Amino acid sequence: MQSPNRYQIALLSAYALALHGFESMFPSPVPWLRLGLANIVTLITLLLYGLRAAFTVTLIRVVLASILNGTFLGPAFLLSLGGGILSTLSMGFFASLTPRLFSATGLSLIGALFHNGTQLLLAYALFIQRIEAVLLITPLIVLLGTLTGTINGIVSELIIKNLKKSVEKIQNVDT
Amino acid sequence: MNFREILKFTTVADRVLFSILILFSLLGLIFVRSLILGGNSVEINVDGNLEYVLPLDEEKTVPVQGPQGTTLVEIRNHRVRVVESPCQNKLCIQQGWVEHGVIACLPNKVLITVGKNGKRGSEPDAVTE
Repeated sequence: MQSPNRYQIALLSAYALALHGFESMFPSPVPWLRLGLANIVTLITLLLYGLRAAFTVTLIRVVLASILNGTFLGPAFLLSLGGGILSTLSMGFFASLTPRLFSATGLSLIGALFHNGTQLLLAYALFIQRIEAVLLITPLIVLLGTLTGTINGIVSELIIKNLKKSVEKIQNVDT
Repeated sequence: MNFREILKFTTVADRVLFSILILFSLLGLIFVRSLILGGNSVEINVDGNLEYVLPLDEEKTVPVQGPQGTTLVEIRNHRVRVVESPCQNKLCIQQGWVEHGVIACLPNKVLITVGKNGKRGSEPDAVTE
């Protein structure tokens, strides 16, 4: 695992931001329910460059996206920030604690679960304050998060495999 | 890239986690729905005063005493209807079974609200006497 330079962090953040903007064009039944495409970039960064880099990329993405959306420091920003931080930390935790247990798909599922769990808790604590409303929507959000998390995980897995393949090719040409 | 190749690079833990999440969220969907249904109640007001609060999941027939006589309210299968009413037009009886909402018998001043337990903000804005 190499440590990334600032240009790589900038590039990864730009990818994450672009995906974040792209997915906000999809209609959604709940404002903070998203496909989580930006999590693909977080996951790839985590597996290639480590938790520190993934955390930096997530923070840059969340802050910049909220400034561009005009939701900076608003309720959606708090949910997005909390979900982003907790999902990155949980994925980093499982990736370093049990490196061979989960593939990128499993890590993506963990990230999605922690993302949704954090957002539901934050939404309950800050805005809704009706436990039955939160309980009513929790299974649906977990179900959708599991489905999108699986797809994101598989996509991340494929991208990482292809990246490694192309790196090997370049190294073969060099020698 | 077909389904079998994708399955090949997932680990056992991945698949276990996936199955657990799907199972629990589906169970949650079913469980939470019955929980919410069970928490419902029927409130019966007579002349603006709350006279009865009854659970919706209990089968029961209640005689409600109004100014004109007795309105008979029946609760069955999470639904409510008025069986008998002393009023003239019998609109409340014609309304039939109600799952959630309001049955009103204006002549006998009986108001039956079927809905969530402890729900606020559903009171009338004003009542004229």
